[in-house]
Amino acid sequence: MAAAGKMSLASGAPAQRDVIVLRLLVALVIFGAWEAVSRSGLFYGEVIPSLTRIWTSLIKLLGDGVFYRNLQVTTFETVVALAIGAGCGIAVGIGLGANRFLMRAFEPYVYYLSPTPRIILFPVMIMWFGVGPSSKIALGALSAFFAIALSTAAGMRQIDPVLIRVGRSFRASLWQMTLKIYLPAMRVPILNGLRLGMGTAIITVLLGETKLSNQGLGYMIMQVYTRFDMPGLYALLIVVFLLAGAVNALIGHFARDGA
Amino acid sequence: MALNESQSVNPALVVDDVVKRFGRGDEVITAVDHMSFDVAQGEFVSVIGPSGCGKSTLFNIIGGLLSDYEGAVKIGEERISAPHPAVGMVFQEESTFPWRTVIDNVAFPLELQGVGKSERMDRAHHFIDMVGLASFEKAFPSQLSGGMRQRVSIARTLVSQPKILLMDEPFAALDEQTRLLLGDKITQIQQELNQTTLLITHNLTEAVQLSDRIVVMTYRPGRVKRIVRIDLPRPRTSDVVGSDAFGHYVAEIWNDLREEASRGMADSESAASRRAAHG
Repeated sequence: MAAAGKMSLASGAPAQRDVIVLRLLVALVIFGAWEAVSRSGLFYGEVIPSLTRIWTSLIKLLGDGVFYRNLQVTTFETVVALAIGAGCGIAVGIGLGANRFLMRAFEPYVYYLSPTPRIILFPVMIMWFGVGPSSKIALGALSAFFAIALSTAAGMRQIDPVLIRVGRSFRASLWQMTLKIYLPAMRVPILNGLRLGMGTAIITVLLGETKLSNQGLGYMIMQVYTRFDMPGLYALLIVVFLLAGAVNALIGHFARDGA
Repeated sequence: MALNESQSVNPALVVDDVVKRFGRGDEVITAVDHMSFDVAQGEFVSVIGPSGCGKSTLFNIIGGLLSDYEGAVKIGEERISAPHPAVGMVFQEESTFPWRTVIDNVAFPLELQGVGKSERMDRAHHFIDMVGLASFEKAFPSQLSGGMRQRVSIARTLVSQPKILLMDEPFAALDEQTRLLLGDKITQIQQELNQTTLLITHNLTEAVQLSDRIVVMTYRPGRVKRIVRIDLPRPRTSDVVGSDAFGHYVAEIWNDLREEASRGMADSESAASRRAAHG
């Protein structure tokens, strides 16, 4: 690694190829260490299964219809949660950002409630919406809402005030102001908010599923865990990591385009 | 001040005894103090005064962005208390939408009015051509110079065909040469459209070059000090800047303005020394 660092310093910017080589090396080192620990027998039986067994489980998992049904449920819950959270979050963010009075009145609620862990509300959501997808959607929407409302309100304050005066001088309605000035001027902060909101929505939905549910990837993880199927558990975790990473990369790509 | 200098027959815009105060209690500042003048149909009037004299406050009142004032700004019989369709504003600041191309910027007011796409593009094109940016329709504002962006703003306001074009130091951020040339463009457009125009400025050359009449404002509180008719021949170009008559007008108005400008300067200097003493 030190050698790679020196090389890139000497040649100015590091070449794309060097970066990729280093990334692959890191992955190889992690896999190697994993395999070594697994074979050393330091841990009790199945806790660190060998890579080949995880791989076999992964292949089995990807060929299993149950996985896709659960994936569908989690995706559905996350997408609906994000849509509700984004709709309400953007509307409230614009309302708070456009109106100083509202902002001052509601600031404490939004700022001090947003960092509290939403999962403590899960029992309430279960009582209100039942054990099915609705309670996970409600909780996911709530957590996405705060992230999106806050970044939208911050985005509103960054809009060049003269653009708002231009809109007013042409007698734009609130709806036209929102559609043609606020939203395009805030593309970047809103996409960043969506990215954060998506992240917390995924986390909360999965967390809710692991607590109390009868379907979804979180439920599946707990099923595999109670069966003590460690290779299956790791395979499932890898898939969830990759999916979350891909979604994040996708939104990040749009955010960069908008900048 | 002779009556015929300040009043016109059938004016497009009347500013009648307008007062605007900011703050309350002991902290009241009178920004605009009993100002009255009018702008005739097709006339070009400039309001000139030193920085801080309340020009921008007046601009915002006439534009309808400041509704809480005393007296009346009238278009016909209507008192302005909100942005009026007959008034088109051009702002001092950079005000193009950076995410829209030139043609979409200019078409913006038509979009708000629900004009169909092909008509919108035709009309936008016409005014882009008029400000001399025909070959930049598909460009984004970031690809243009400051002077070009200000022309986009002017075209965007003209496309809504306002009865009165209201501009607040639209060339303030530009260099002197660009300013003179843009002045030519404005004169040309104004004559082509017979556009009633009210320009707010602190630039004496610009005011004399462009105006039929100039309203000279006092420094704090902002009152009408004098209204000067500029009898330079039309059609006018920036060549007029070198003429004797032009020099006389500039000298005459500067005579009035100097006193106000030095009061403004003394004021800001004493404010600065108060700040320095406190700090």
